[in-house]
Amino acid sequence: MNVRKIITVVEEILTEGGRPVSPAARVAIVAAVIENPWAGQGFVEDLGPGIEDNASAVGELLAPRVMAALDAPAEAYGKAAIVGLNGEIEHGSALIHTLKFGDHFRKAANATTLLPAVEKRGPAGIVFDIPLKHITDATIRSHHQTVEVRLADAPHPGEIVIALAAAAQGRPQQRLAPLTTEQ
Amino acid sequence: MQEVSRFGADITIRKLSLYREETVTEAGQAPARPACRASVAAVVTNPWAGTPATTDLSAAVSELAPPLARLLTDRLIDALGGVDRIEAFGKAAIVGTAGEIEHGGALIHTPYFGNLVREFLQGESIICFADSRADAGETLVVPMWHKEHAATRSHYQTVSARVPDAPRADEIVVIAAASTGPRPHPRIGDRTTDPAITAQILEAVRS
Repeated sequence: MNVRKIITVVEEILTEGGRPVSPAARVAIVAAVIENPWAGQGFVEDLGPGIEDNASAVGELLAPRVMAALDAPAEAYGKAAIVGLNGEIEHGSALIHTLKFGDHFRKAANATTLLPAVEKRGPAGIVFDIPLKHITDATIRSHHQTVEVRLADAPHPGEIVIALAAAAQGRPQQRLAPLTTEQ
Repeated sequence: MQEVSRFGADITIRKLSLYREETVTEAGQAPARPACRASVAAVVTNPWAGTPATTDLSAAVSELAPPLARLLTDRLIDALGGVDRIEAFGKAAIVGTAGEIEHGGALIHTPYFGNLVREFLQGESIICFADSRADAGETLVVPMWHKEHAATRSHYQTVSARVPDAPRADEIVVIAAASTGPRPHPRIGDRTTDPAITAQILEAVRS
């Protein structure tokens, strides 16, 4: 796996709707900008070997870093694959939609649910939203949230950005009735 | 907000955003001295939004700027692994559309911010800067140079800062930035190695 740079974003919300959020709501994102393992090879039918070589390694790189950046137990989480313009979205999906990738984060966060994801192709500096849901029960409505990210200068056409996001809480000022009240 | 009250007045911050990047490889090669660059942005209400151009800015500056300097530099030092690791610095402001650029300048260009950022980051140089007036979510590229020797060419570099939903029209995003080293592969010389160049010398070479 060839990594060009690793980016950490930490967002803290201290007031929302004009009211204090205490403690501040924290969301952390860590992204690795890596070379697309299938760049320049034309249409590759079998993505298996590239997945084998890269998916676990990038998961292992990102999971401890996003937990360290959050500096708190994760309650919600999500993931992203942003493919540079010369690649297929399938290449990004290949690296993040495998247990080899996600289990590193699940283990680090004591999580059990599927990781919500964004997969997208675009130029360097593209804005993308990472969806997050609760780490053990994806129906917990208070924790449905999204964080917006833009990385300067990535992904280049032959690169893929792989990112993990973790939130220490649900939405700031969350106050919707739980799903069970409507069932 | 608790962190802010440790120094100066209590001020209300809506949001804080840290952006840190470490270069693992550049042009396919690991840097001899890998550097981490970071920006920290705080979203505050513009205390002067909607006021006339004759408004005296000084009172609010001495209230607001010192705690911002403290908070932003604390976060930078924490994000970059200690003040001793920081070699370059910069600062910036993005003013929402109901304010003047002068309002952003008021928060970053006076001793109440600049002197304190320099002191907290243990620098001596003038701090280079960028400013803009923009809608929420616009990226600002923040310039940095060496914190003790501003003319050190290897340390001329930038880092981006962006808060997705700020500044609102009546807000200001105040930013401090720092780097732990030079550009990934600096190789454009320095003042000490430069040949003497003037227009006259270049003309003489061509003729």
